[in-house]
Amino acid sequence: MPLLKVDGVTSGYGDMEVLRDVSLAVEAGEIVSIIGPNGAGKSTVMKVVFGQLRPWQGKVELDGRDISRLPPYEIVTLGMCYVPQVANIFTDLTVEENLELGAFALAGREVAERKARIYELFPRLKERARQEAGKMSGGERQMLAMGSALMLDPRLLLLDEPSAGLAPKMVDVIFERIIRVNQTGVAILMVEQNARESLKMAHRGYVMANGQNRVEGPGPALADDPDVARLYLGG
Amino acid sequence: MADLDPTGATGAATDATSPPLRERVRAALQSRTALVVIILAVLALLWWSAVARDVSAERLLSLTVWGVMLGGVIALGAIGLTLVYGVLKFPNFSHGAMVTLGAYLAFAFMAVLPQGPALRPFSFGWEFLAALVLAMPLVGVVALGLDRVVYRRLRRQNASLVLFAMASLAMAFFLRSLIYLIWGPDFYFYYDARANPVLDLPLNIRVQADQLFIVVLAFAIVGLVHLLLTRTRMGKAMRATANNPDLAQIRGINTERVIAWTWIMGGALAAAGGVMYGLSSQLRPEMGFWLLLPMFAAVIMGGVGNPRGALVGALIIGVTQQVATAFLNPAYGPAVAFALMVLTLLVRPQGLFGARGG
Repeated sequence: MPLLKVDGVTSGYGDMEVLRDVSLAVEAGEIVSIIGPNGAGKSTVMKVVFGQLRPWQGKVELDGRDISRLPPYEIVTLGMCYVPQVANIFTDLTVEENLELGAFALAGREVAERKARIYELFPRLKERARQEAGKMSGGERQMLAMGSALMLDPRLLLLDEPSAGLAPKMVDVIFERIIRVNQTGVAILMVEQNARESLKMAHRGYVMANGQNRVEGPGPALADDPDVARLYLGG
Repeated sequence: MADLDPTGATGAATDATSPPLRERVRAALQSRTALVVIILAVLALLWWSAVARDVSAERLLSLTVWGVMLGGVIALGAIGLTLVYGVLKFPNFSHGAMVTLGAYLAFAFMAVLPQGPALRPFSFGWEFLAALVLAMPLVGVVALGLDRVVYRRLRRQNASLVLFAMASLAMAFFLRSLIYLIWGPDFYFYYDARANPVLDLPLNIRVQADQLFIVVLAFAIVGLVHLLLTRTRMGKAMRATANNPDLAQIRGINTERVIAWTWIMGGALAAAGGVMYGLSSQLRPEMGFWLLLPMFAAVIMGGVGNPRGALVGALIIGVTQQVATAFLNPAYGPAVAFALMVLTLLVRPQGLFGARGG
């Protein structure tokens, strides 16, 4: 049984249909990458998976349990955490408070130990612990967003465009950390505009277009697929 | 300099060879320093006008101390107002009615509690304190009830800001009518004709013990709120929800529960403000309504959604209102608050503690 299963989901905003019959799955420990042109509905998939948007049809299952009617604050307690593309940190709070709120569902004791682990993964955050999060650079914000989402020790981490708007050097750093997080056993489902890079590191990939998933396959193979390249990788 | 403001125009301007002078002047005029200078200038002008009209220094000093007391009362209301705005993002016009309701409920409790002797040097006995402690959570529950009946429904329908604001205005009139219906239009005192002697303090400051009590209690409550917001789980969840409600849910915070506690806290603080206001003057059905404008002025001056700012704003408004009575009819008090609010909006709409560009 897959860890996460999106089964024939159709959904959208108001009357506007954005996703049509989308299905995908993430196995435990995998990196799965969703790529596709702008407006293909990649971020919308994330929102449906995380309970921010209800599926009109179909369902989302985590460990075989239907979670499509659960609010986000209950989903996080089931071992899945989410880093949205924008507005993914509490800008008015300090770095440390951000991390602590990442573990809001957790009772006191373990928080300090988890925080230490996140500081080990992102030493920069420790230097900035008492700083207001809104005053940090784009790369540091992304580190904090990921760090906060990892505070609950999830089995599956959802990343929406983790490299968006970052300097090329910082993109490498973030991708390297994603692989490191994955090596500790956390499965990762990510949406990326940086398609070639993200497919190379992914175990499997999905290509989306016009609200549907079109192609599925092992990540590196998709990256080398001439059709995918021509259609979606711009070359 | 450039890394201070990566988004705004100032950063871009410093990268250019020379920033346009007009831009720099505008930025300087809208800075926090400019607002502080303007507020201090208004205060100085008030004091100077008073001195020019032969108001004695002792009286001015006493008025200033009373202003701090009034500021404490305003702060209790303003902090609730700013918290509700921060978390729910609408101006709650019924907050003044909560203040009135708190004062009258305490009055009702005192009628049924056995009367004890006055706790000298104060004018009130223990039954007043008990009534205060009872009225606070009760108004908190009323506030929560209004949310359940009115505002939560609007939230579920994703209603517009205007609808929320109008609904709260309707609730303000509803609560005020209810108070008229139960208690009538008469004035009441917590204690009729009980001696409340003026203390002899250094520098000839004339202050009643009750007024000092109000100042101390208001500040103690504000301090507690600060601790609650910075140290407790629920407080941090409130700040997180105010900052970014969607992300708060994603991080595991049940925002509906945060909203419920925000109403309870806001209602309880408003009740405390109402009881203190009632103690310092008298109970009138319009008392909260007259505090609404100073409360909004304090919230805007401090930066909407910022409790610390609301406290500072409330103290400034309180002092200006009281000092102005040295040479103005006290009925013009709200006008002074209004003038300060407009000044703030013109100079720096995000207030003293607001984020830039807000």
